[in-house]
Amino acid sequence: MEPDVSMETMSTIRIAVVAVGGAIPAGRLREYAAAVGRHARVELSALASFYSEQQKSPFAHQPWDSGALRLRFVLGGSPPSPWEDFQSHRKILAVLALCHCPASPDLDIVAHHFAAACRPYPHALARRCFAFFPSDAQLREEKRDDIVLFPPSDVQKMEFHMLTMVQDLAASLLMEFEKCVLRTESAGTILKTPLDSQSSLGSEEVIKAKKRRLGRAQKTIGDYCLLAGSPVDANAHYSTAIELARLTGDVFWHAGALEGSVCALLVDRTGGRDPILEEEVKYRYYTVIQLYRRAFIQDNAQRVSTVSFELEAALKLARYLCRTELAKEVVELLMGAADGAKSLVDANDRLILYVEIARLFGTLGYQRKAAFFSRQVAQLYLQQDSASAAISAMQVLTMTTNAYHVQSRRTNPKLHAPAQELGTSHGDGKKMQPQSVVSLFESQWSSLQMVLLREILVSSVRAGDPLSAWSAAARLLRSFYPLITPAGQSGLASSLANSADRLPVGTRCADPALPFIRLHSFPLHPSQMDIIKRNPLKKEWWTGSAPSGPFIYTPFSKGGTTDNSKEEITWVVGEPVQVLVELANPCSFDLVVESIYLSVHSGNFDAFPVSVNLPPNTAKVILLSGIPTKVGPISIPGCIVHCFGVITEHLFRDVDNLLLGAAQGLVLSDPFRCCGSGKLKNVSFPNISVVPPLPLLVSHVVGGNSSTILYEGEIRDIRICLTNAGTVPVEQAHITLSGKNQDSVISMAHDKLTSALPLKPGGEVTFTVTLKAWQLSLADSEVDASRNSSSSARRISKEGSSPLLAIYYAGPSTNSDESENKEASVPPGRRLVLPLNVCVLQGLRFVKARLLSMEIPAHVSDSFPKPTNINQSSTEEDDDVQDKDGSLVKIDPYKGCWGIRLLELELSNPTDVVFEVNVSVQLDNPTDEHTPVRDYESADIRYRKTRIDREYSARVLIPLENFKLPVLDGSVFLKDSQTDESAGNKAFSVTERNAKAELNASINNLISKIKVQWQSGRNSSGELNIKEATQAALQASVMDILLPDPLTFGFRIANTSVEIGELGDQSSKNPIAAHEMTQMEVLIRNNTKETIEMSLNVTCKDVAGENCFEGNSATVLWAGVLGDINLKVPPLEEVAHSFSLYFLVPGDYTLQAAAGITNATDVLRARARADSAEEPIFCRGSPFHVRVTGTA
Amino acid sequence: MTSTACFVIVSRNDIPIYEAEVGSAPKKEEIAYQHQFVLHAALDIVQDLAWTTSAMFLKGVDRFNDLVVSVYVTAGHTRLMLLHDSRNEDGIKSFFQEVHELYIKILLNPLYLPGSRITSSHFDTKVRALARKYL
Repeated sequence: MEPDVSMETMSTIRIAVVAVGGAIPAGRLREYAAAVGRHARVELSALASFYSEQQKSPFAHQPWDSGALRLRFVLGGSPPSPWEDFQSHRKILAVLALCHCPASPDLDIVAHHFAAACRPYPHALARRCFAFFPSDAQLREEKRDDIVLFPPSDVQKMEFHMLTMVQDLAASLLMEFEKCVLRTESAGTILKTPLDSQSSLGSEEVIKAKKRRLGRAQKTIGDYCLLAGSPVDANAHYSTAIELARLTGDVFWHAGALEGSVCALLVDRTGGRDPILEEEVKYRYYTVIQLYRRAFIQDNAQRVSTVSFELEAALKLARYLCRTELAKEVVELLMGAADGAKSLVDANDRLILYVEIARLFGTLGYQRKAAFFSRQVAQLYLQQDSASAAISAMQVLTMTTNAYHVQSRRTNPKLHAPAQELGTSHGDGKKMQPQSVVSLFESQWSSLQMVLLREILVSSVRAGDPLSAWSAAARLLRSFYPLITPAGQSGLASSLANSADRLPVGTRCADPALPFIRLHSFPLHPSQMDIIKRNPLKKEWWTGSAPSGPFIYTPFSKGGTTDNSKEEITWVVGEPVQVLVELANPCSFDLVVESIYLSVHSGNFDAFPVSVNLPPNTAKVILLSGIPTKVGPISIPGCIVHCFGVITEHLFRDVDNLLLGAAQGLVLSDPFRCCGSGKLKNVSFPNISVVPPLPLLVSHVVGGNSSTILYEGEIRDIRICLTNAGTVPVEQAHITLSGKNQDSVISMAHDKLTSALPLKPGGEVTFTVTLKAWQLSLADSEVDASRNSSSSARRISKEGSSPLLAIYYAGPSTNSDESENKEASVPPGRRLVLPLNVCVLQGLRFVKARLLSMEIPAHVSDSFPKPTNINQSSTEEDDDVQDKDGSLVKIDPYKGCWGIRLLELELSNPTDVVFEVNVSVQLDNPTDEHTPVRDYESADIRYRKTRIDREYSARVLIPLENFKLPVLDGSVFLKDSQTDESAGNKAFSVTERNAKAELNASINNLISKIKVQWQSGRNSSGELNIKEATQAALQASVMDILLPDPLTFGFRIANTSVEIGELGDQSSKNPIAAHEMTQMEVLIRNNTKETIEMSLNVTCKDVAGENCFEGNSATVLWAGVLGDINLKVPPLEEVAHSFSLYFLVPGDYTLQAAAGITNATDVLRARARADSAEEPIFCRGSPFHVRVTGTA
Repeated sequence: MTSTACFVIVSRNDIPIYEAEVGSAPKKEEIAYQHQFVLHAALDIVQDLAWTTSAMFLKGVDRFNDLVVSVYVTAGHTRLMLLHDSRNEDGIKSFFQEVHELYIKILLNPLYLPGSRITSSHFDTKVRALARKYL
């Protein structure tokens, strides 16, 4: 059997093309052969000039104007066929030798070779030897007949030359055909086929043969006519031959002649194809097939068989009919032919048959059928034990991969396209229809695919093609690992390794092997590197563009938002970025990934390779990094993996599709799940764009980035140092606060930062943030108490309750290059989020505050505490103040006034450090500007500060006497006094409100003056927040504290004009002695704005509290009036009343003045909280202490 | 019962969703593959032939060596394909009809995604029983 046969084959002239002389370079040989092969059809009209009619041509009806000779160049020639007599076109009718002159300088040797090359072809009617590129010497040689020298020239000229030579060859062939025909007609040439039994030539046989000879000769002449391009002549001869063969019962030759007649018919009607012709051809060919079948003789079937002719005829007919409309008929023919394969003796014939069947099925569009027969071909090849057969097998199998859907990516780059579409449609988050999911995994005949891949692997190993072997093993392992036993998997791994050993280093393969790679996630920018889109229209550029309408949600914008649903990621040129991918090795061997890095097709990214080792059945998440190098969009379709010695690209989409299929149960197994990795949400690949370099601020807290431990209320400065680590200067920077406990930041040095702008690359700026630790809320403490319920229930602030500093900064706002495109030219800014790591510990705790008024009697003794220097000076200043304002009310509390009021603060220290508490009261005295804070001793007068040991409580007393107002004014009592009047008066209510506000303001003022500061250790200090508690404590009795008594009383010795209270100081200089008349004065000051009438009484008591003026044992004698003194004191003035005392007994005495106020005003009544208007109002002064020296 | 028979259900997407070697001949893996190859190749012919007739049962549509492929095409274009070496056409037809009923029951299962693999062991048992009965 011969490959590639068709009905017209009978009209082609076979010419052997052989190379002679020295070895011709492969490229040259191909070039020469192609130049020759271009002239497969030579028009008869073109031959005319070379043709010379030596005798009358037997081809009477040769179509000189339209006919042609068909040449078929057989490169390398072919062995002679036993059926040459039967069909002349099977003969090699001419030999064409090719010679490359530079390789063969001696033309004699070439001629010798040429003669030798012609020897195997006895039937050759013409011989030519073409020599290309002869040297000058060879050209100069004597012209030879046997070798045609092609002078060196350009391509076009050589083409022309070649055409001429081929036409010459064709013409000489034509003339030879004429001779052959004449010879066949005249001489009794014996035409035999292997069918005719040579051995037993009985007489009957001889007679039969003689009869048949004529018919056979006619058929042969017909063949030559066909070859000579004269179908009409051929037809005439064939008709005769058919008649003769039928008469003689020469079935085989009958069929041959009939076949020839069909060929003649087709050649005659070249181009035209009508149904009638087709019917005719079909009818004749079925007859031909029938005849061949009849020619089959059982007894010599072992030696020769006509089956191949029958099959060939069937194939020819199938090829002729091969159209989709006639598919059914063609299929019948081909299936019949396939059945005939069994009766073919020669394996080569079977091979050719299957090849032809596969080709015809392929032409018909039956890819699966074609693949099936191709595989049969490959199996036949594999049965032959040679490398070239294995290569053929591999190539044939590779052709079938399309039909079985296991094609390599290299052969089908289009595979990427549908995957991409799929990826995007899935990425949009639209739910895919189950049906379309199913269609993704079309034609998954896994067992067939495995068999095929294994055969490809075997054949390519045998053919010595390591890359194909690697690719097949990779496909097999990747797609079908769940169906392969662990031993098989290891075998595949070793065949991968073996193939890679024979490949050069750095070989790339289009088919990925293991591992499976999927995108895990994109680590977000660390908060230090956030990129913020800049809004150039706003001053606060980091805030997003405001929504256009008044509604937060507009239904019309919905379409737009779906487009934005895809995440956008911005990367910066020159700043390293990271992507997390997950690798899975579902096989049972150790997988060593020599290197893996991100594959970027956009060419603006430098990826850094890493190497990974994956133990059997494991998945691993690894971090791949790289640096964007150029501005523009980046697409990362997958990873480049160097594994098993070959570099492959693994696309994320493939795995995504695989996982999608696995989720639907359509794919064998999910490689990640079988490795124990959890189900991951399908990560859609975001749009990544790269922007030009941005500034990058790096911050650190001076003195360490660890969190600052503060006690509640502690105030501390934190110095923050910012460094520009980018390559672009920072031109704008703004600090904002966010997060919890924002109010704990007392101040930030904005101006320090802004003054440092623009901050050049590498520049540094340090600014201070003042923090005041916040109070821990109850929730915090509860949480912590439950956590460590140990002895000390310390309270620590929760994580994340620290305030955050957000620093928005940006580089230059405009890029000079792209000034046209203003929108795009604004590079984004950045945000540096800097958590102020503050850990607040529970500090000194304020338990409660209360107002103590009478509980602590004034201590009156000889050893009266000496005021400190500051007190002294301030007392003096107070005296000055008294002189100026006449404000008697500000009496030093240690001088024995009993009307003292103290604010008691109870503090506890639950911590394990010692606190020192320092209470300060700020006086808003205009003359005291240089010493605004006056310190007072707390209860323990020996220490300026209260020390509170750990886990102890302490009380701090704050005297409040100094806050009294200088004047008792009616305005304070407006509300009280006017209650019974018409409350509807509008103007009045305004004043009332004013007064109320004034009162509140004065309370707040009072409270704000009291500051409780604490100190612990060397550098922890802070302030206790006591405002609310104090306010609550003072609210009830604020009047008593703030308002002065209407009258103030004082005593002094008249002659020295020294107040008795000060006698303690001056007692050594000016003592009051017993048995002496002492001149004294009582001073009464009116603190109101109205004149007060009163009746004054002065009393003196001894230490036992007995009245010394009256009674049986009066110890003090007196001169002057001491009781019921009627006085009238003008507003804000003082009046003195003199008297004399004579002490009989030395010792301690107390002088006290009291007054009953007559005609008290409403203000006074209100101050005294009198219930009714008739109630008498008394005013009692503070007791004064007198020490009398002397002997009894 | 025939010595060799291979039964495959192919979904409309040309995916085999059920495969069974139902012959009585001793099972060999290579032969099973060969059977599948033949069935796979026959799909090309079925695809054309199915539209030329209104009958669901297509008699021997294809053959390779002495094996014949009979096909039953459902209305949803799911193909029940049988590779066999017997000529018991009536038995094959009955077999196909009964398997078709079983297949419809599978389709009625709301948890079954049409076009995915049939994994029901009940179905498998029934099909094998039918094969013993008819083939």
